[in-house]
Amino acid sequence: MSARILNRGELLRLIDEAACDRRLIGPMRRGEHAFYEAANRAAELDLEGPPCVYSPKNHFFPPEETLLTFERKSRSFVTRTVRHETSTALVAVRPCEVHGIRLLDHVFGAAPSDEGYLARRRATFIIALDCFRPCRDEAFCGDLGTNTAHLGFDLMIRRLSDAEDEPRGAERFELTSATEDGASLLSRTRLGRAADRDDLDAARAYDHRKAAAFPRRLACEADDLPDVAQRGYASDIWERTAARCYSCGSCNLACPTCYCFNLRDEVSLDGKSGARVREWDGCQLREFALVAGGHNFRAAPAERLRHRVMRKASWIAQRTGLPGCVGCGRCDRVCTAKISLVEILNTLAREQDHDHAGHT
Amino acid sequence: MKPRVAVFSLTSCEGCSLAILELENQLLQILGAVDLVNFREGMTERSWDIDVAFVDGAVSTPHDEEEIRRIREHCGTLVAIGACACLGGVNTLKHDPARPDYRRVVYGDRADWFPTTRARPLSAVVKVDAELPGCPMVKEEFLELVRCLLNGRPFRLPANPVCTECKKLGNPCLYERGEICLGPLTRAGCRAICPSFGSACEACRGLVDGDALRAGREVFSTQYVVPWEKVVARLRLYGAYPESAEPVAAAVAGGAS
Amino acid sequence: MTTLDTLELRETRDPYEPAVARLIETEPLTELERLFVFEPSDGQALGHRPGQFVQVWIPGVGEAPISICSSPTRGRTFELCVRRVGEVTSHLHRLTAGEEIGVRGPLGNGFDMTVMQGGNVLVIAGGLGLAPARSVIEYVLDERARFDEFHVLYGARSPAELLFRHDLIRWRHRAAIHLLVTVDRPDEQWRGRSGVVTKLFADLPRLNPERTCAVVIGPPVMFKFVVVELLARGIPQDRIFCSLERRMRCGIGKCGHCQINADYVCVDGPVFTYERMRELPEAVT
Repeated sequence: MSARILNRGELLRLIDEAACDRRLIGPMRRGEHAFYEAANRAAELDLEGPPCVYSPKNHFFPPEETLLTFERKSRSFVTRTVRHETSTALVAVRPCEVHGIRLLDHVFGAAPSDEGYLARRRATFIIALDCFRPCRDEAFCGDLGTNTAHLGFDLMIRRLSDAEDEPRGAERFELTSATEDGASLLSRTRLGRAADRDDLDAARAYDHRKAAAFPRRLACEADDLPDVAQRGYASDIWERTAARCYSCGSCNLACPTCYCFNLRDEVSLDGKSGARVREWDGCQLREFALVAGGHNFRAAPAERLRHRVMRKASWIAQRTGLPGCVGCGRCDRVCTAKISLVEILNTLAREQDHDHAGHT
Repeated sequence: MKPRVAVFSLTSCEGCSLAILELENQLLQILGAVDLVNFREGMTERSWDIDVAFVDGAVSTPHDEEEIRRIREHCGTLVAIGACACLGGVNTLKHDPARPDYRRVVYGDRADWFPTTRARPLSAVVKVDAELPGCPMVKEEFLELVRCLLNGRPFRLPANPVCTECKKLGNPCLYERGEICLGPLTRAGCRAICPSFGSACEACRGLVDGDALRAGREVFSTQYVVPWEKVVARLRLYGAYPESAEPVAAAVAGGAS
Repeated sequence: MTTLDTLELRETRDPYEPAVARLIETEPLTELERLFVFEPSDGQALGHRPGQFVQVWIPGVGEAPISICSSPTRGRTFELCVRRVGEVTSHLHRLTAGEEIGVRGPLGNGFDMTVMQGGNVLVIAGGLGLAPARSVIEYVLDERARFDEFHVLYGARSPAELLFRHDLIRWRHRAAIHLLVTVDRPDEQWRGRSGVVTKLFADLPRLNPERTCAVVIGPPVMFKFVVVELLARGIPQDRIFCSLERRMRCGIGKCGHCQINADYVCVDGPVFTYERMRELPEAVT
């Protein structure tokens, strides 16, 4: 599918076109922060500002949702599955977030599939927005290759011109599609024009500029991360670092690839009806590995910290073949104890380099 | 048989008792499911044949102490409601040896007419079966407890800190604005109401557990310029800082005087 | 409609929606454990493997994972042996015949009985581990011709805590099965063996290790000692099958609660070979 080139006004109109029979959700600015929230028109969205504080995972996987309701009869009961999907255009999803969504697709889509998730996912048209430079110091998406996405969205926007070199209004936006839905919208629209040779040159220049814009933060190769983590399993870094871990779970809940949850029953005052509710949970929280009878399989914060880092750096990739960490740096950003995933990984990598040098 | 329910107030603003009346729609449902037999804020009838007693306020006077012992004797299940009944609440501020003026500010030159003891949570004096902390208590949590009592299910407070609720609500973290919020140390269940409105958490629901306190000490002594003593002073506003961890408290008092 | 690159579109039953099962009968086994016989309300057998589990749901209370303790060879009903330890299991204990519960499953991998065919089967069960072990034992007894020697070692803490006493008595008198039972703390009436379950190995005949599969189910402390005995007898690591206990929640490999190292107990287990368990330091803690 060939790319289409739009100017700013055309881009906004295209987004409005995509959202004409859908709810529009995209970055809405509140003070210095942006959040994925509902908007009436594309012009209200902040497409220039920083990525949203939280990833859009709550759109597919809400923090709390009713899975089914029940009514109790005298000796039996009836249940009713609850579905709540709304046709949505989700706009300005960053590449790291697209990778996060792909992981959720994999986990919730694996048999037996989570139909509630899939229904919401299918009802969502994703317009991604590429990043041409890192958004924050904490980000290390460039090291992981998750600063670029080729799948997992319907349309991808790339701003071929830097804001610096072209006046507002004259910027060139390149739109490409990764799905039939996306391609069909691009072929239907009369907005903009097909990409020409000059645009291809601009796209190549964009790729070069982008490749140079992401500094290395990871002290090892992305491919070596699983091994670095595995070798660090017995390290004392977990104990050392977890001394200041609050076990608040913020890193989990803010992570685009964290999908763990809890299931619980809610019941009416008379006990006759109720609901089965799913809510976000996280492996850093105290009672995550607590079992009936009172034993906690990961009672120590250090064991929980190691569990999270191993999942992100090794186990998720091992199970799914997809990145367990997308390098967005949100876990570092929300940690009020200033525990850094990248620093832990880098410390492990350096310790192992050092050990290796010492032994040879 | 409907459970016979009573509501009592010790030293407090009685705001938690009032919060029960504010349940409005659900209150009618509850009143259909229980017999209210003793509630100063809501009725004149008095009975001492009680299945469940809800008590707000701290044990802060000799009279409070008599009263709570009497309530305990006459009820099956005792539920402490609000920060005062669960932690001692703001009443514990009078313990600060660096601030002997609190009593004068409150009672003026008649301070001596009002004998007080150390302000204590109910659990320091009698056995408490359930606690609903917060200033005021959280109405939804009260409802959940009533549902549990009526359905014979155990009631448990959340074992997570307030941060989990901010993340679920999508609140930006106040630490990003350079504020010190007590959310990471404080028991969730309030739906992060203060941070949701831009104010730092003040731990009115108490510590999530001792591990959070240990982590906090480590965090503030290694990662922030704000001294741990200042954090402790803020934890003491509602009595969230445990009496058993007195050494730091003494240091604060010493530092302030 | 968005085409998902990693997903095939399919319409299936919601995996969180339980099926309904009716309690046929129940009897106490010990002070803490009861046996429950359920029949799926749709009349279809569960179609489980020995060693699989179900999520039992009491509406308004919650779910608890319970091992199936009957063999799939025993018709439409299925049996659960439930220890009263939490809210759900306490509610189960109060259930009377005719009442309905929710059931999701069978879940987990269970034991692959085809690998054990043609050879000797050695079952070692400790405590409540006899419940899932019973599904294997009944299966082997019902399909006896497909297996060679069949030995069962069972250890309980005290005579009062012995599970399935009627079954134990029946099994003891059958030539098809060689059963050894021990208790840690015998009382005055106890005339059987005493001591931990590993002491029973001394009374086992020599088994050709290459033709023997071991099934190990019990509390975590038991694993280490039993595995040492099995390895000493030359049984290969990939023919030692252990069933682990964790608090499974979703039961379908998503919620993360039962994860030990890289594996999810609810889908990769609860049965693991000792060979795999060695890669899972969190398996025995």
